Parts: sequence; structure tokens; C-alpha cells
Amino acid sequence: MAAVRLRILYTKILGSLQTMPQDAAYRKYTEQLINQRFNHVKAELDIENLEKKINCGQIEEVIAQAETELALSRKMTEWKPWEPLVEEAPANQWKWPI
Amino acid sequence: MAASLVRFVRSGFGRSLNVARQSAAIVQTRTTTTETRPTVRPKDPVTHTQLSEFGEYIAEILPKYVQQVQVTCFNELEVMIHPEGIIPVLTFLKDHTNSQFNNMIDLTAVDVPTRQYRFEIVYNLLSLRYNSRIRVKTYTDELTPLDSSVPVHQAADWYERESNCSFVFYFIFFIKCETLLGVLILLRQVRYDDEVKRVVAEPVELAQEFRKFDLNSPWEAFPAYREPKDAPKLESGDKPAK
Repeated sequence: MAAVRLRILYTKILGSLQTMPQDAAYRKYTEQLINQRFNHVKAELDIENLEKKINCGQIEEVIAQAETELALSRKMTEWKPWEPLVEEAPANQWKWPI
Repeated sequence: MAASLVRFVRSGFGRSLNVARQSAAIVQTRTTTTETRPTVRPKDPVTHTQLSEFGEYIAEILPKYVQQVQVTCFNELEVMIHPEGIIPVLTFLKDHTNSQFNNMIDLTAVDVPTRQYRFEIVYNLLSLRYNSRIRVKTYTDELTPLDSSVPVHQAADWYERESNCSFVFYFIFFIKCETLLGVLILLRQVRYDDEVKRVVAEPVELAQEFRKFDLNSPWEAFPAYREPKDAPKLESGDKPAK
């Protein structure tokens, strides 16, 4: 049950990542992470061992993380954060001490 | 009688001698320790490199908004972003599986009046999953409004209103426009007006002029960051004054 839900979520995330350019860092790292977890889900049938392999809390928490990641990837396609910097800060903005 | 006196004196001597011997022993043990500055926090290079790698990761994923990333000497990661990127960066840090900073600890501002964008808004976030903290900083001036981070973190609500009242800069509230001093606005703001020679009640306006600063201190604040005074530069062709 949980494994089915995770498979659906991971396929959706990977599909959403396809809409981004190939060299976007977000796409690279998230694909790596999601593929890793997807492979664990495919390989391991027992939920307890799956939790240990993924090593990110209980399976319900892993499902919640996947759901938030899916929502995030959809927002990222709108925001396009891989583009170059919008605007540089003025010269002494981040200088400390003044 | 005399014997008892003598005995008393001898025991007194003995005690003082013991004390002297004890203090000599203490002095000796002190000089043999190798610690020279025990109150300085030991540096932790492992955490420092972990944090700086994570900072580079964030900067690589969000180059559109991240202007600068730094790790302080206390091993605290700080990410400086453009004000347009408040919602994207905070949502990313909250939702991404590798970061999961879903707890907003603090939202404040720092006022540096000499800067063009005087207010530096600081968001402190905590990740319960990875037990780590991060600081996100933006900037604005008195009149430019900022996006409210309430859609991302509910906790920001109170802090935004509070920083609005303390520093008088503006957030665009998605839901309703209310300030912390909503009650005060119902009361009257009064002032004594010299022209009419009586107390006058006018509509409440909070402005920057109400904030008073006395920033000149006789003590030098950061001796380690003293900047060299610029020597008068000569243009080519000028002769140095004799």
C-alpha cells in the first residue's frame, strides 16, 4: 500500500522534473535522490527494511516528503530558479562590520 | 600557662606554614598546565565544511535569487537572497527532501541607516529531520514592500507585524492589513501644537521620524576590522606638495 503510493508519487515527481532543462541543478540532484529512493522501493518489499534503507524516518514521513517534493517541483517549473541572478546587491549591502 | 601559650603559638605557626605549603602547591600545579586560552570556543572544521558544502548546494540550485552564502565563525550558515526570492527560497528550503527546514524560528530585521537598502530582514529556520539551522537574509528600504512569508510559514504572521511596527517597513499581507498596534490606532495620537497653543489630535501616522538614534559611541566597536585611512592619491603629472 505504502509502496504503491510511493511509486506513484516518485513517477509523478520524475515526470514533473522532465519539464525542466537538463542542466538545471535542481533537476540533477532531485532526480538522483528520487531515483535512489525509487530503487530502494522497487528492491525492498518489507516496509521495515525499506524504512531502514531510505533512512529518513517512518514510511508515512517518507510519503509526506515525497508529496511536498512533488508540490515543490511543480512550483519550481513556474519560478525557474536555474536562471542567472535577477539583480546584484548594491556594493556594500552585505558588508559587516559596516 | 606558659606551656599552653607556647603550644597555641606553635599550632598557629603550624597552621600558617601549612597554608603557605598548600598555596605553594597550588601555584606549582597552575604553572604546569598547558592550556593558554581556555575560554575560547574550539573550532570545528568538520561542521564548517559540511555547512559550506550545503551552502554551495543551495547556491547551485537557486542561482536566480542567491547573492551570497557564508558560514560564520560560530558555524552558522547564512544565505543572502534578492527580495524577489523570499517565497521561492523559503518554499524550497521547507519542501525539498534534502533540506526540510519546516520550522521558522525567528523573523527580524536589522537597521543599518547608512546603507541604500537600510533594513536587512533575517529569517531563522530549523530542520527537525536533520537537526540543523539556517539563516536567510534579504534587504529593503523604508518604502519598498516585501512579499509576506505567511503562505509558507504560519509563524511569520506575528513576526512580520512586529517588525513592521518596530522598523516601519512594509509587508504585503495576503489576508488582512492589521498592525500589532491595531488597538493604538483606535486611541488618539496627540501632540502639543505651539501655534494654536493647545493639545491637538491628529490621525495616527507612524513614520521613520519617530525613531531616534544616537549611534556615535566614543569607543571603537571592531578593532580587528579597522580599515586603513586612504592616503591622498596623486594623479600622474601632479607633483607632491613640498
